[in-house]
Amino acid sequence: MTTIRRLGQRCPRRVRRTGEGMGLKRWMVGIRGKLIAIFVIIKVLPLLLLALLAWSMAQRLGDTVSLQASTMAESMLATIKQVGEAATGDAIKALDDRAREAIERLTTDTARSVAAFLYDRDSDVLQAAQVEPGEATYRSFLQHRTRTLHRHGEWKLSDDGTRWEPAAPAGWDEALAASPQQALIDNAKSFSARPPEYIGRPEIRPLFVEMTFVDTRGRERVKVGADGLMSRELRDVSDASQTFLKAERYWPELQKLKPGEIYVSEVIGAYVGSRVVGAYLPASAKKAGVEFKPEESAYAGTENPVGKRFRGIVRWATPVVRGGKITGYVTLALDHDHIREFTDHISPTDSRYSSINDAIVGNYAFMWDHRSRAISHPRDYFIPGYDPKTGEPVTPWLDQSLYEAWQASGKPSREFLETVTPFDAQSLKKKPAGAQVKAGTVGLDCRYLNFSPQCAGWNQLTEKGGSGSFVIFFSGLWKLTTAAAIPYYTGQYGLTQRGFGFITIGANVDDFHRAATDSATRIGLTIAEMDKAFQGQRQGLRDDIASNLAQTAGALTLSTLVMVVLVIIVAIWMAQFITRRITTMIDGLGRFQAGELSYRLEVRSSDEMGQLAQSFNSMADEVQLSFKRSEEARSRAEEANKLKSDFLASMSHELRTPLNGILGYSELLQLELEDPAQQEFAATIHSSGQHLLDIVNDVLDLAKVEAGRMELKPVEQDIARLAADLVSAHRAHAQAKGLAIELTLADGLPASVMIDAQRVRQILNNLLNNAIKFTENGRIDLRVSIKGARMALAVSDTGPGISPEGLGVIFERFRQLDRFITRDHGGTGLGLTLARELAHLLEGDLVVESRLGEGSTFTLFIPLREPHP
Amino acid sequence: MSESSASTSKNVLVVDDNAINRRLASAFLARLGYATDQAEDGPSALAKLENGRFDIVFLDISMPGMSGEEVLAKLRTDSRFNGLYVIAYTAHALPEEKQHLIDAGFDDLLIKPITMKAVEAVLPPR
Repeated sequence: MTTIRRLGQRCPRRVRRTGEGMGLKRWMVGIRGKLIAIFVIIKVLPLLLLALLAWSMAQRLGDTVSLQASTMAESMLATIKQVGEAATGDAIKALDDRAREAIERLTTDTARSVAAFLYDRDSDVLQAAQVEPGEATYRSFLQHRTRTLHRHGEWKLSDDGTRWEPAAPAGWDEALAASPQQALIDNAKSFSARPPEYIGRPEIRPLFVEMTFVDTRGRERVKVGADGLMSRELRDVSDASQTFLKAERYWPELQKLKPGEIYVSEVIGAYVGSRVVGAYLPASAKKAGVEFKPEESAYAGTENPVGKRFRGIVRWATPVVRGGKITGYVTLALDHDHIREFTDHISPTDSRYSSINDAIVGNYAFMWDHRSRAISHPRDYFIPGYDPKTGEPVTPWLDQSLYEAWQASGKPSREFLETVTPFDAQSLKKKPAGAQVKAGTVGLDCRYLNFSPQCAGWNQLTEKGGSGSFVIFFSGLWKLTTAAAIPYYTGQYGLTQRGFGFITIGANVDDFHRAATDSATRIGLTIAEMDKAFQGQRQGLRDDIASNLAQTAGALTLSTLVMVVLVIIVAIWMAQFITRRITTMIDGLGRFQAGELSYRLEVRSSDEMGQLAQSFNSMADEVQLSFKRSEEARSRAEEANKLKSDFLASMSHELRTPLNGILGYSELLQLELEDPAQQEFAATIHSSGQHLLDIVNDVLDLAKVEAGRMELKPVEQDIARLAADLVSAHRAHAQAKGLAIELTLADGLPASVMIDAQRVRQILNNLLNNAIKFTENGRIDLRVSIKGARMALAVSDTGPGISPEGLGVIFERFRQLDRFITRDHGGTGLGLTLARELAHLLEGDLVVESRLGEGSTFTLFIPLREPHP
Repeated sequence: MSESSASTSKNVLVVDDNAINRRLASAFLARLGYATDQAEDGPSALAKLENGRFDIVFLDISMPGMSGEEVLAKLRTDSRFNGLYVIAYTAHALPEEKQHLIDAGFDDLLIKPITMKAVEAVLPPR
């Protein structure tokens, strides 16, 4: 029964320990979790890394493409810019070169034309020398010597007074130009057509304003004039004051002439000043502090088209020879206007010619004499003339420092200027003399015009008869300026290689490369547009790449997520697949442990799992078999036990029933009988019956102990009290035999212990009974002490003791030491056996020590169990 | 004590199939001054109890036909026998047997073999 109970207890405990709930959970986080973790690590991690790699590659690709695109665009733009700049620069340079070439050519051609014109005048004077002096002949000579000049029409001040404008439209009539649409196909390419050039209204003018015959004493004998410029009186030209403007000094020169030699004068005219440099308008006049009288101020083209014109002459003279003898001199005074005609209409622009010069834009031609004095200029006040009152040349425009030096010298200007080095350190840094502007005398003599360095340049280019050009920033404009010597070497003009003087043409550089600058501007605009377009495209590309990248990132993230989820699902499935077999097995084991001993695992495979299941199954077979066997053994034992118990119970019953009669009636007999002898008999019957009852009780007890049916009832017990009660219970008995009986309690005994007091009492009673029974002299002692974890209750006597052989068998049943003892002392022969069995039942022991003739000590050891508080 | 008690003696019915034991108990009771009657089985005991007037019953357990427990069961379910002091008079001495009898409703147990002292001890106070 004990075995069964123990088995029964063990099973559920084990099931609880490894049962389904906790065990399965541990499996879940165990193998399955690990498997899933491994799957995740070997699948998901590379997946994530791949995704990361792909993403970074895509991003790098995007960056690279974007960078490349912008680099390409930038380099393309830079190239285009470079090309554009180069093309523009080249175009400008080409146009500049062409323009320079053309203007230089125009300059040279003009100079040559002037020279040819002048040489014609040499011919005229030589022819005139052949003419018999006389008014009629001279008039006849002059009559056909005319030339057409071109004059612009009427100009007037604009209504608002800010500019001069033509009074009536005049100029090109575009309708007169050939129509490019009518050109033959063969000629259509770059068909360029212009209407007739308009340079003003033609006006036929005599070449010479005066023709004279001067006798050998210097007196004019014949004088014929064309207009009112010159005096009609016959004068003595040897007296300078009687000459034109008192300025002519030709008589001394005439006297030096040999026949056929020609004298040519300088340009002589009255200086026309202006106190306004630039446009002569009410505002500028006011600013200059003068009354607005444009007609009284010098003519200046579009700046003052109504002004007073410079009028001058150039006198030719040659001896008149009659009979190899010089009889006088013929002179021809060329109207200076004819010289100016060469430069007045030149416009170094697309318009080529102009009826009126526009000085302010800088595109005009002008002329200088052999001494570098202006003799033709759009602004008449720049032509240094003579003061008609004195016949002296007016002081030319000086720079401030030279002007101050002149003022300081106190000399007349002509005298002062003779001492001055011409072209002295000319520089744009020098300032013009403001006082001369105020005075209105600003004639240009390049030798002293030191704030205008182009003078030195022109001088340099022409002093040896050559020509050329340079570009200078002047009056706020970049100007190309040319110079070409006029190859006319007659008379005083033959003294230098420069000849008559030189032509210069000024041109606004910007004008003639306007096409190029326009195209440069267009190219710039195109580049800006392209740049903008590129920027837009680049931004578009970047946006495309960014959105592509975003899409890629999204797709990548999504696909990675899907893959990760798939991998995890697969991992869970696989882990479940693998662990399902294990969990199935664990379930089976659990059911088996729970008592379902017939449960067997399904052997599905021959692998390790299968072998494991097989091993388990065969183990289960054995367990089940052994359980079956033990179950059978148990039921057999139970049956035997029951039989034994039943037998004990019925034996006890059946023995007690007759004993009842024996003991009862012997007791009654003792009470009823009077005769002591009879009483003795009755007592003997009673005693014998009592002995039989003792045997029966002992046998029953022993049988119960051996059958395991003796149940312990541990109770809290004062062990000292128990021992004391026992000793006092036996004291009477001991004293009756003259024996001392004493109790000894060791120190340190617990106040109370948990023991089955009834059984302990039974054992000690037995021992004390024996001790008293077998001891004739001396004493009996009960000692209670603690031996380690056990309590020792020792009963000692001073009895006969037990032989060593006796000690070996003393606890065997029905082993009484000899018949004598039994007969005399009435033991059942079961007492010590029962005592020892009870001791064992108490988880203790009963041991004996003895010496023959000295006494014996029986010690009961029982576990020391203190009651739980 | 026995003299004085005789006049006010209580009636005891001793029931036992074993005549010796029946007479022994009656003898002991008589010596103790109780008036006794005897029955040899359950049904006759019940009949006597129904007809006579008894205060105490010494009831054997192992009897052929009707056991002492069955007799007790009948007595305990019959209100006429309220207050009847029933003592098991038995040789069943094993502890579990004794417990069983106490549980069955006996007022006390008198285990065979009996002594005068034991009989005196189980009898309720007069």
